[in-house]
Amino acid sequence: MSLLTLDNVTIRFGGLTAVDTVNLEVKQGEILALIGPNGAGKSTVFNLITSIYQPTEGKISLDGKALTGIPTHKIADMGITRTFQTIRLFPELSVLDNVKIGAHCRGKAGLLQAFTRLPSMKREEAEMEENAIKALEFLDLDAKKEDMAKNLSYGEQRRLEIARALVSKPKILLLDEPAAGMNPQEKVVLMEMIRRIRDTGITIFLVEHDMKLVMGISERIAVLDYGKLIAEGTPLEVRSNKAVIEAYLGSGKFKSRIRR
Amino acid sequence: MKKLLDNWLVQFLLFLCVLGLTAFITDAIGDVLPPYLLMIGLFIGINLIMALGLNLITGVTGQLSLGHAAFMSIGAYASAIATVNYHVPFLGGVLIGGLVACLFGIVIGFPTLRLTGDYLAIATLGFAEIVRVQFTNMKITNGAIGFLGIQGSTTFPIVMTIAVITIILMVWLENSRNGRAMLAIREDEIASSAVGINTTLYKIQAFAIGAFCAGVGGALFAHTTTFIQPTDFGFMKSVDILSIVVLGGLGSIPGTVIGAIVLTAAPEILRPLANYRMMVYGVLLVIIMIFRPYGLLGGVNLRKAVRRAFMLTKKKQAGREE
Repeated sequence: MSLLTLDNVTIRFGGLTAVDTVNLEVKQGEILALIGPNGAGKSTVFNLITSIYQPTEGKISLDGKALTGIPTHKIADMGITRTFQTIRLFPELSVLDNVKIGAHCRGKAGLLQAFTRLPSMKREEAEMEENAIKALEFLDLDAKKEDMAKNLSYGEQRRLEIARALVSKPKILLLDEPAAGMNPQEKVVLMEMIRRIRDTGITIFLVEHDMKLVMGISERIAVLDYGKLIAEGTPLEVRSNKAVIEAYLGSGKFKSRIRR
Repeated sequence: MKKLLDNWLVQFLLFLCVLGLTAFITDAIGDVLPPYLLMIGLFIGINLIMALGLNLITGVTGQLSLGHAAFMSIGAYASAIATVNYHVPFLGGVLIGGLVACLFGIVIGFPTLRLTGDYLAIATLGFAEIVRVQFTNMKITNGAIGFLGIQGSTTFPIVMTIAVITIILMVWLENSRNGRAMLAIREDEIASSAVGINTTLYKIQAFAIGAFCAGVGGALFAHTTTFIQPTDFGFMKSVDILSIVVLGGLGSIPGTVIGAIVLTAAPEILRPLANYRMMVYGVLLVIIMIFRPYGLLGGVNLRKAVRRAFMLTKKKQAGREE
């Protein structure tokens, strides 16, 4: 069953077609990786899904509900959260507050509740804190909850970003190069973590450069080159796909890598 | 004990007690202090209320506004017109001042809050100038001659009670879902919208509350000086309030309190220096910013610092006992 559907999605920036008629289905409960050479349009796909960009043509839908035209801040509420290629935390806030903010879309309290501190608001706060601590425990960060986010190590910051995206209990989690800048040991831990997240019922869609990680955890891989989807299939199929090898290593013919 | 403090009713009663105590103490102080010092205290309170509003906009939500004096003037004129022309009671006038300023904050917020950083600063600056020129040319405000005959109803206890209410509400706000959303916007707007924060909504909320505080401050100001004119609310007034927030430490409520006290009292304390007064004042600002670039209490988590100090003294005591 497909959870997230990209239907003929195209986006043009002036004369550049960054994503070109991409059709892609993310199935419920799977780990899908999107790979491709630098500048292939992978992050643009994520920005399209989260409504940061609007597609020039085509439609994106989650569970049959259209995502196109919906403002970015409502996407999280619909069940899609993400991490960023360059870490985007709230650096001057505590780790716990970072995660609590991640649960923003699950809260209801408004200004009136903030100024009156009624019991209902207190209950919501307590619940939010409990969920935040659970998310931190899940990613093994609970010991650092009082620290400021900017004081965490690089790997911890990456994990905190995942915790922040997880706390709102999304249907699908978009990970944009989660392993970037990690050492081999950290990558092994990350792979384990991604699997554990999937086992809680959250669908994972990731963009990654690290082939070992991609081949190790994904059930399906989609390959993007110059904005076009050139292959889709299991890791084994993709690995032996001719078009993929060409995109990554070249065809052996000089001309093919020159962009027309 | 802790459970009792968690009870809403207990907290509410505690809140009332604090207010009553503030009113009582400030009233007692007011009887003792000479009028000159009392006036300084009064202006500290007024500046504090306005600075707390700007702190929410600039310090917490991270939106640089150079037009805070405009909201102050709107509050001042609205309340003055209400009390003088329509005989509204004083506190009602203060509320009207705040609400009208708040309304303008929302109206101005919609178009300008799409801008960020320096651009927003210039837009708010432009807005402040428009407001000032408008007041200079309106009949109901008596134009450049100034608005006369406002009753001097503002008293020290009233200002201080309102200031304490503002402090408490600001602390509550900062520790709520809304406050955290505002902090998140300051830290990273794109990440905020990715976790589901409607950045425009919360920016406008911050702007509206900040403008409300400025309006209340302006209303209190008008009923202190009994005479207001458009030049009272020029660019320099905006900068004065911004200095309080920056010098105290952006986003820090205790910092804003200290900033308001220092920056309001300093020009008065330096009065004996006569002509050199403002020069020394300027030098003082520069020195503080050199030694505390993030403001007096910027980056200090007061709760943590107090806890640490408490632990230290405990440890020392334990050491002595051994």
